[in-house]
Amino acid sequence: MRSPAAAIAWEFRRRHRWGFLAFGVYLVVLAVIKFAVLGGRQFAFRDEQAFAFAVVVPTTITFLYVLAVFTFGLDGDLAARESIYPARLFTLPLSSDALAGLPMLYGCSAAAVLWLATRFLGIWPAGVNVPVIWPALLAASLVAWTQALTWMPYPLRGLRVIVTILWLSSLDAIVLAALHFQASEPLMLTILAPHVPLAYLVARSALRRARCGDVADWQRLFTRGDVSASVKKRAPFASASRAQVWFEWRRHGQSLPLLVAVLLPFELAMLFLFHETAGIVVETFVIILLTPAVLATFVAATVSKSTASASDAYTLGAFTAARPLSDVALIGAKLKATILSALVAWLLVIVATIATLKVSGAAPVILDGAHWLANAIGPLRAALAIVLALIALIASTWKQLVQSLAIGMSGRAWMAKRSLFATLALLAIVLPSSRWITRSKALMAALWTALPWILGALVCIKTLVASWIALRLFAKRVLSDRTLVIAAACWSATVIVLSAALAAIFPAVIVRHYVLIFIAILAVPLVRLAAAPLALDWNRHR
Amino acid sequence: MDSSDAAIVVSQLTRRFGAKTALDSVTLEVARGGVHGLVGANGAGKTTLIKHILGLLRAQSGAVRVFGRDPVADPVGVLSRIGYLSEENELPGWMRVEELIRYSRAFCPAWDDVFAEELRQTFALDATTKIRNLSKGQKARAGLLIALAYRPELLLLDEPSSGLDPIVRRDIVNAVIRTIAAEGRTVLFSSHLLDEVEQVADHVTMISGGKVVLSAPLRAIKESHRSVTMHFATPTARPPQIERVLRWDGGPQEWTAVYRGDVAELRDIARGWNGTARIVADREASLDEIFVARVGTRATAATEA
Repeated sequence: MRSPAAAIAWEFRRRHRWGFLAFGVYLVVLAVIKFAVLGGRQFAFRDEQAFAFAVVVPTTITFLYVLAVFTFGLDGDLAARESIYPARLFTLPLSSDALAGLPMLYGCSAAAVLWLATRFLGIWPAGVNVPVIWPALLAASLVAWTQALTWMPYPLRGLRVIVTILWLSSLDAIVLAALHFQASEPLMLTILAPHVPLAYLVARSALRRARCGDVADWQRLFTRGDVSASVKKRAPFASASRAQVWFEWRRHGQSLPLLVAVLLPFELAMLFLFHETAGIVVETFVIILLTPAVLATFVAATVSKSTASASDAYTLGAFTAARPLSDVALIGAKLKATILSALVAWLLVIVATIATLKVSGAAPVILDGAHWLANAIGPLRAALAIVLALIALIASTWKQLVQSLAIGMSGRAWMAKRSLFATLALLAIVLPSSRWITRSKALMAALWTALPWILGALVCIKTLVASWIALRLFAKRVLSDRTLVIAAACWSATVIVLSAALAAIFPAVIVRHYVLIFIAILAVPLVRLAAAPLALDWNRHR
Repeated sequence: MDSSDAAIVVSQLTRRFGAKTALDSVTLEVARGGVHGLVGANGAGKTTLIKHILGLLRAQSGAVRVFGRDPVADPVGVLSRIGYLSEENELPGWMRVEELIRYSRAFCPAWDDVFAEELRQTFALDATTKIRNLSKGQKARAGLLIALAYRPELLLLDEPSSGLDPIVRRDIVNAVIRTIAAEGRTVLFSSHLLDEVEQVADHVTMISGGKVVLSAPLRAIKESHRSVTMHFATPTARPPQIERVLRWDGGPQEWTAVYRGDVAELRDIARGWNGTARIVADREASLDEIFVARVGTRATAATEA
């Protein structure tokens, strides 16, 4: 390696060679289709879904991958106060200018190359004038700002996610506004040109602070009174399990309520500002209700991480592994802490939203919606539907927090990375396909007819996988017979209650009851939760 | 030793990481109520062995029993009787010292609050300080506190004093001595700081390249090894090959041998060289010298004992 720049480039290339290789193959496939199959002719897409499937979704996924790679986001703890820039690089004999500049140069170049390759090799609809320069500059700006904002140390946990989302959304909003007003290419370039240098200056300053451990801590502002007195007053834990729940709550549990508490005021402000516009009130209300579940997807990455450190180590730390607790108790503590986390986050949402609706005068719009539902399906059914929807939202938030637990608990980096890749690949297929299917009445009708069979097949697969996991748990003695029976009974009871509630809401003439039972079986988490202790056992006793 | 009396029994334990054999048919017994020193160079396999004892690694072949139990099959039964402190000492940085104590005591029904407070004061740990703000030595003391405060039946120390200052190392050694002298519990102490092991261990196992090269009571090891300096009338680039000399150092006229056996035999051998060699110094070999002789790179040709 002849220079530090080459060494850092080599590290990116070496670590992510398979991802870059996949990107290269994708470009080659595009080039072959464009030049060999189509012979350079324009191609008329039947609709925007086909175009999205062929160009937009793969490009977006690749861009997100580039973003994750060049911010070091795949290894770092996004919710942490400390910079996610790898601390090991701080000890290199390089200036902070170089430490910020080199990865930013590579990231921006990769993003620009991605756009240019997509622009020239991608198959675009006929008659569309696709710009060349400014989207490349936008992609580079987004990468540069994400790097700067994620490398920055923050005074509160979780603040990084909020600041980054808000800032990038603002940048997007400016660009969308400019497009709306049909800004010319030179104007777009003028708007975007300062961003990369500005982001570089911010990143350089952030790394200078991070490098000397300059991380402010506002947590103490929320700690009232004398710390020594508050610490000493606490009674001992009643049991080891309670202590572990406290540990998990302190490690990860507070992140979701904190994120919700930071974002919620901005959303509630919309209710004050637009309380007279019914459409915006309803949209804002829906966004508020979806906020905990969406934010939970970000927090889930840290919850499922098996080690306490924010480094790229995937193995279980000796401090936790050597606790005299069974694998089930360790997983149980995580589940309880996440339940508590979801409940606290939702308590915040419910209390704050009800209060805001009342004070802002936006409540009648929502109440009108409830009255409409009551008139449509009857007051009892409407009440049941609302309660069930609320429970489903809370459960969904919790499910988001724990659904990748088994992957994280396995402690294998390759599992986490392959799972992420598989999820993105699946989304790339499912999202455009679903849009395409919903547009076709014939396909929808066929799907509706086949729905019981599809659901039945999925139930069979879920049951078979769950049985295999139960057998493995039993064979490895990870779960006792009693715990297995109790867990199975609890799961069955939840499915029965959910089926009954669904049956009460949806009459049999609309949906057959056995279909509702299938839906309940598929909705209640089983496989991934059951696999978590098995994954932990695999990780803890390597 | 009857295996039922042993705190730890390791039988024919082999562990491979890819192509590298980290442990190669290791067999070991650690008696109850003693201090067992585990010594070896970096990468010899000490930490791998200790991780098997903790159940953090599953035996690929062979078996590990701690108090007669399998640490992988029964982690709670085994870990609840072990106090563990490692060089890594991965204590959660976000906890305060008092929170660490409160958290750790929940796992140990036999936790001794008075002893814990006594240790905290002895180690001068401020209860309200966060772990991340402690120095390396203070972190080691905090780790030692939670490992000792419930008076575990077995104390596992994996290079606990590596990289620490002499005062913290003394605290650790004193804690081991106190544990044994006062309570007769078992300690397995891994280190490459041999003077520490020599201070506290009553049984030593040397491990090299994943194999046990020597395991015996410390007294027996020291009594059976001598450090003998010989003066040669004629300078010699290579000392003579003598059976039971584990290693030669020095030259060209004065060579020091680590010799396993009765030094009278060596004296007879020297006399046999027409008076050209004589023994000028003879003392008990230190554990450090024995370790280097047993597992170190040979400086000159020597015959393995």
